[in-house]
Amino acid sequence: MTSEAKFHPTAEQLGGFARGTLTAGMDVVISAHVELCADCRSRIGSLEAEAAAEMLQAVPETRPVNKDFSSMIDSIVNHAQTQADEQTSDPVTEIHMLEHSVRLPKVLAKVASEGLVWKKLAGGINQASVTLDDQTQCEFLYMKPGSQVPVHKHQGSEVTLVLDGSFSDESGHYKQSDFVVRTANDMHQPASEEGCLCFAVLDSPLTFTKGLARLLNPLIRYRFRRATAAASH
Amino acid sequence: MSSAVKSDTPAGAPRTSAAATAACNPDSDESLLVAVGNHQDRAAFNLLFTRFSNRIYAMGMKLTRNEQLSHDLVQEAMLTVWQKAPLYDLDRGTAQSWIFTLTRNRCFDILRKMKRQPATVSADDIWPQEGDGDSQLVHEEEGTMEVEVSKIESFYGGLPAAQRAVIEQIYIHDRTHEEAAAVLDIPLGTLKSRLRLGVGKLRQMVGTE
Repeated sequence: MTSEAKFHPTAEQLGGFARGTLTAGMDVVISAHVELCADCRSRIGSLEAEAAAEMLQAVPETRPVNKDFSSMIDSIVNHAQTQADEQTSDPVTEIHMLEHSVRLPKVLAKVASEGLVWKKLAGGINQASVTLDDQTQCEFLYMKPGSQVPVHKHQGSEVTLVLDGSFSDESGHYKQSDFVVRTANDMHQPASEEGCLCFAVLDSPLTFTKGLARLLNPLIRYRFRRATAAASH
Repeated sequence: MSSAVKSDTPAGAPRTSAAATAACNPDSDESLLVAVGNHQDRAAFNLLFTRFSNRIYAMGMKLTRNEQLSHDLVQEAMLTVWQKAPLYDLDRGTAQSWIFTLTRNRCFDILRKMKRQPATVSADDIWPQEGDGDSQLVHEEEGTMEVEVSKIESFYGGLPAAQRAVIEQIYIHDRTHEEAAAVLDIPLGTLKSRLRLGVGKLRQMVGTE
């Protein structure tokens, strides 16, 4: 399912991902992009090495931070070690949207595995919100073929990862694995000709989700199926 | 920092199972980690613990600004180092990088637990794990071609030397994983991931799997 992305996380976002200093919502959407994007995957190793040098730098012996942790050692070495053979591959997970199914990156499969509740928004958009932390709003968005998101403005920044299909806005055309970043000043109107499944992370809610459109939304549940790894062999 | 233990054997000397601990170079974190992973070497773990516990505590203070959480982080991160040492893989970078990623992940989980955030995702779901890239490779190309055994040999020549060496030890010399790791002087985790990669590629080339 690897494809060539044209739009990637910023250097700052990837660096924060490697250091572990972002919100869980942002970690999840970057992780999903990294699984789909060989370019970004190849950069993570050196970013982690940089982060390691920065975060695990030697502490001067004289600093008061030095503590005696030696009593921990005995309890640790009595634990059994993990053997490489014990690692099991994760189940392959698919999400079913109307007629077709989409294979999700592992971390999103995990996010979706507790079940998604889809709400119908205006303009042919379906939304399933998930809560990952207390600072971001995260959601799967499904745009039906021919749909258009009402014009909206962001209060904060928004990251959208394309999982299947494609969408366009004033600035470009986005396909599977593209990582689209919009900041507070951007006003845009995404539209999808062929239909599109995305995962979006907002650091504050879109204005239209608070408006009248929300009152019109009946709940829709889509089935979610988990295919086991065994089935693919 | 660690003049207490000196090695009699020069670094890089051929290593047999019996002499493995003696051959461990105490100045190299990687060498210590391999000794912990391949031989449950407690002396090597002690050295790693001495070198990293205060640094992990300092990292914990940077990320959590909480002494108790940072203390817990030292315990959990070093426990994970001990438990996962057999999975350490030279291809994944230095010991410091590897220990950092384990510490970052434990810190993420500790912070979420403390803030009572939803347990929907854990650090291990977010940051790619050892072996993930390999299984991806194997999944990608699935074919239904007939397998010709004679072809395997020609494909075998096309593998990277490191993977070929591992497959040779296991499938031609019929060695166990532990023996092959000792002969090639690489961590068990590295051997297993190279074996998985190499076999995956061979299967891909012949169109099975």
